[in-house]
Amino acid sequence: MNEIIPIMVIVPLMAALLISAFSKFNKVTKIFAFVVALCLPLIPILSNYGLHYFGGYQPMLDNVTGVMYHPAITYSFTFLQQIFIAAIGLLTFLVIFIYLTKYKKVSGPYLFLLFLGTAAVTAMILTDDIFHMFVFFEILALAQVGIVAASSIDYSYEMALKYMILGSIGSPMMLLGIGFLLALTGSVNVSDIAAAVHAGLVNATSPVFLLSLALIFFGWLYASGLPPFHTIKSGIYSKAEPHGAALLQSFTVISMISIVLIMFRIYASLPIFEVLIVFFSILAMILGVSLALTQTDFRRMIGFLAVGELGFIGLGIGLGTNFSITAGLFQALNEIIITALLFIGFGAIVNATNEVDTRKLGGLLAYHPKVSIMLLIGGLAMAGVPPLSGFQSKLMLVQASLSCGYPELSILAIMVSIATFVVFVKTYYTMFLKPKPNDLDLENKEVPKAMIFAMGVLLVIVILLGVFPDVVTSGISNFVGGIL
Amino acid sequence: MAEVQLVILFTSVALVVIGLYSAIFLDNIIKKIIGISFIEEGVNLFIVAIGYKAGGIVPILMPGMDTTWFASNAAYPLPFGLVLTSIVIGASTLAVMLALVMVLYRRYGTLSTKVMLADTSKREEYNE
Amino acid sequence: MLEFVLSIVIIVSAILALIQKDLLKAAIIAGFSGASVAVLFQVLLAPDVALTQAIVEGAIIPIFIALAVKKTQRSDD
Repeated sequence: MNEIIPIMVIVPLMAALLISAFSKFNKVTKIFAFVVALCLPLIPILSNYGLHYFGGYQPMLDNVTGVMYHPAITYSFTFLQQIFIAAIGLLTFLVIFIYLTKYKKVSGPYLFLLFLGTAAVTAMILTDDIFHMFVFFEILALAQVGIVAASSIDYSYEMALKYMILGSIGSPMMLLGIGFLLALTGSVNVSDIAAAVHAGLVNATSPVFLLSLALIFFGWLYASGLPPFHTIKSGIYSKAEPHGAALLQSFTVISMISIVLIMFRIYASLPIFEVLIVFFSILAMILGVSLALTQTDFRRMIGFLAVGELGFIGLGIGLGTNFSITAGLFQALNEIIITALLFIGFGAIVNATNEVDTRKLGGLLAYHPKVSIMLLIGGLAMAGVPPLSGFQSKLMLVQASLSCGYPELSILAIMVSIATFVVFVKTYYTMFLKPKPNDLDLENKEVPKAMIFAMGVLLVIVILLGVFPDVVTSGISNFVGGIL
Repeated sequence: MAEVQLVILFTSVALVVIGLYSAIFLDNIIKKIIGISFIEEGVNLFIVAIGYKAGGIVPILMPGMDTTWFASNAAYPLPFGLVLTSIVIGASTLAVMLALVMVLYRRYGTLSTKVMLADTSKREEYNE
Repeated sequence: MLEFVLSIVIIVSAILALIQKDLLKAAIIAGFSGASVAVLFQVLLAPDVALTQAIVEGAIIPIFIALAVKKTQRSDD
C-alpha cells in the first residue's frame, strides 16, 4: 500500500474543481494554479514505487483453484509511470506558466480543462483496471474537446464537434469490447484477465475474444489518432491554441501507450494482434509524413508529423520483444518532449506574426534568432539527428526491427526519418531562411519570455536524454521485462 | 445462455446498428446525436445482460439471508456498477455536444451537417 | 414474455424517432425508448441501473434535446 499514489490524480482534479469554482478571484487563482502546477512534476519524482488498492481491499487467493483475484481498483506505480507522469507534469507546468503570463485575466474554465486532462491521463497510465481506464478516457475526450473549443482560432467549434461525434462512436465500441472481456472472464482487472487468458480459461481463438480485440483496437485507433483518424487528430492540434496543442499531443501519446500496454498484456498471445499494430503504425508513418509534405499551414504540418511519429511508437510495441518495446516507450517519451517544443516554438511564431501560411512567411531568423535556433534543434531531434534524443530512440527501433528479422521495417523507418527531415527542413527554410516577402510586415513584436523559458527547459531535456539515454532506457527495460 | 439474454442481445445489436446508421448517414445533427444515444443505450443493455442470472434474485443482501445461498443465486453485480457510470458519462457527453450544436446554429442558421461540418480546409481556400 | 414486448417497443420507437420530421417529437419518442430500456433493466435484475436509466435516458436526455431544439429549429430539413 502506498498512500501517495492516488494523490497524483487527486491534486490536479481538486485543483481543477477549486479553480473553476473560485475563478472570479483573479490573483488568487493565478497563484494557486501556479503552485499546483509546480507540484505536479515533483509529486511523482518524490514518491516511492508501489501499489495502491482503493478501499484497502487486498488481493485474495482462491484456495481451490490457486488463482489470485484483485477485488479493488489497483494503481500500480513503477519507473515507467514515474517518468511519464513527471513528463506530463512538467509539460502541464510549462503550459500553465505560458498561459498565466500571456493573459492578464485568466479564464477559470480553461485552467479547469488543462488540469482535468492532466488528471485523466495520469489515472489512465496508473490504473490496472480496464473500466477505470475507460472512464478517464471519456473524461480526457471531453477535456480535449473543451481545450479545442476554448481557442480563439476560426472553425475550432466545428473541429471540436466533429472530434466529439467520432469519439462518441469510438468510445461505445471500446466499452462493448470491455463488455465482451467481462463476459468471458468475469473481471475488469487487467491482471486477472491476463492471468485467465494465459491459464487457458479463455479460448484465445473464439470469435468473441477476437471481436473484443477488434473493438478495443478501434477505440485505441481513435484515442491515438492513427489512420483512419489521422486527419481529425492533426485538425484538432491545429485548431487549439499552440500551448494547448503542446499539451493535447502529450495526452494523445500517453493515452496511446497506456491503452496499448493494457492490450498487450491481454492479447499478446494472439499473433494477429502484433500484425495489426505494425500494419496501422506503418500506415500512420507513411500517411503522416506524406500528408505533412503537402501542408501549407505549419501547425497542421507539425500535427501530421506528430501522427507520423506515433507510428514509430506503435512499431516498437508491435514487434513484441523486450528491446523493441523499450525502444517504443523511449520514443514515446521523446515524442512528448520534442513535439511540445515544436508546438510551443511555432506558437511563438504565430504570436509574433499572426500568420500561419508558410508561403507568406520568410526571413524570420533575423527577427527571432533564439526561437529559430531552438526550433531547428527540436526539428532535428524529431528527424533523428545524433546526438539528440530522437536519434537514440530511432536507432534502438532500427536495431530492434533488424534483430527481429524484419530488415524491411528498419529500412522503412529510416526512410520515414529522412522524409521527416526533408519536410522539416523545407518548412524551416521557407519560414526562417528565405528572404522576407515584401508584403509581410513584422511589427517587431517580442516573443513572450515564458515561451522561450519553456522551450529552453524542453531543449535541455532533449539534449540530456540524447547524451544519457541509459538513465531512462534501463528502467523502462526492467518494466517491460515485468509485463512480457 | 438464457432465453432472455438472447432477446436482449438481439435488441442491443439492433440498437447499435440503428444508432451507427443514423450517426453516419443522417444529415441532421440532432438526429445524429439521438442516434449516438441509441448506440450507448445498446452497449449498456448488452453489459447489463452479462450480469443476468436466469431464475436469480436482485443482488442486494437483505438481513437474514444465508450468504452461501445468496452467492449462488444472486445476479452478478459488477456489470451493473459499470453501466451506472457509463449512463452518466453518456448523458454528459450528449449535453456537451448539444451545447456545441447550439453555438454553431447561431453561426450557420441550419442543423445540416453538410453545411455545418464541411471540410474546413477547403472552405478556407474558397473564402480566399 | 415481457422482454419480447419491450424489445419490440424499443426497436420500433428507436426507428420511429429517427424518421420523424418534427425534432421535438423525435426527442420525446427517443425518451420513450430509453424508458422502455429502464423497464428491461428491471427485468434483468438491476433495479439500481433501472432507476438511473429511467431518470437520465427517460427524462433528462429528452429535455436536453428539446431545449436544444427550442433554441435552434424544430423541423428537420
